[in-house]
Amino acid sequence: MSAKHVSVHAKWIIGRVIGTKMYKTAKVRVTRLVLDPYLLKYYNKRKTYFAHDALRQCTVGDTVLLKALPEPRSKHVKHELSEIVYKVGRVVDPLTGKRVEGTEFVEPLTDLPLTLKEDSTLSEKLQELNISATSSDVDSPPAQTPAS
Amino acid sequence: MPMKGRFPIRRTLEYLQKGDIVLKNRVKIMTVNYNTSGELSDGARKFVFFNIPQIQYKNQWLQIMMFKNMTPSPFLKFYLDDGEQVLVDMEGKDYKQISQHVKKILGKSEEVLQAEAQAKMQASNPANFGPRKYCLRECICEVEGQVPCPGATPLPKEMTGKHRARMAAAAAQE
Repeated sequence: MSAKHVSVHAKWIIGRVIGTKMYKTAKVRVTRLVLDPYLLKYYNKRKTYFAHDALRQCTVGDTVLLKALPEPRSKHVKHELSEIVYKVGRVVDPLTGKRVEGTEFVEPLTDLPLTLKEDSTLSEKLQELNISATSSDVDSPPAQTPAS
Repeated sequence: MPMKGRFPIRRTLEYLQKGDIVLKNRVKIMTVNYNTSGELSDGARKFVFFNIPQIQYKNQWLQIMMFKNMTPSPFLKFYLDDGEQVLVDMEGKDYKQISQHVKKILGKSEEVLQAEAQAKMQASNPANFGPRKYCLRECICEVEGQVPCPGATPLPKEMTGKHRARMAAAAAQE
């Protein structure tokens, strides 16, 4: 007689919040790619899930990661909010950690000094860049030239 | 009559089955952030165009989500079962490099795939008996040299359950 209380099938899902009008519950739309049997092309298929949001921190439009609860909380709520992946209007780029608006940064990047001195020689420019074998974590610069 | 679309070969079963990225069971969600314009995002766009259908075909239970023009640089993010997240940068890379990298970090290796294929070969495993759809034979009575099916020829008296039960009852009574 425990067919109703089976553990939840989808353990981790990611989706977009479409409604927050319920008490401490977020309505999340999850899209999965489903193959059309005739066209053999993948299309998004939507499904709504309800997630428990204890701190009411979701707004409509957030991209949210949900974790399955060990036991369904109610007839419809079987997941809880694990983390907000992209907050609407305040997206943070995971590579740099800076705020981003579309394809532009909100504040321009300042780690590489852009000097416009035309008369400095190449060796002086290299010295300015301060590259040496002992410098710590040489990460790839943001604008990487495409490797052929 | 040619197929419709830009690269209609992507929409063939043969192409989908040729995909070689099978992700580990721990990976539950794959998120792709890429831009629709810009040369640095070109590899990412090609990866989405050519390889995503193959990955989804081979990983039916993986949730794949695409986000366009959200960040200046393209990247992939994998969400694993224990809450771990893996970030893969795609900026400036070629789509073949991206797929090989993904296969190296989170793909199942050749040995694991072959072991799984072996285990699944129960249809051709002669040790299993069952419905015709899954196994070769349904009952041992079909094999030459074994006791024939009692439905076709009646069993000898000594082998019937009725007789054996009567003998066992007689022995217990004594």
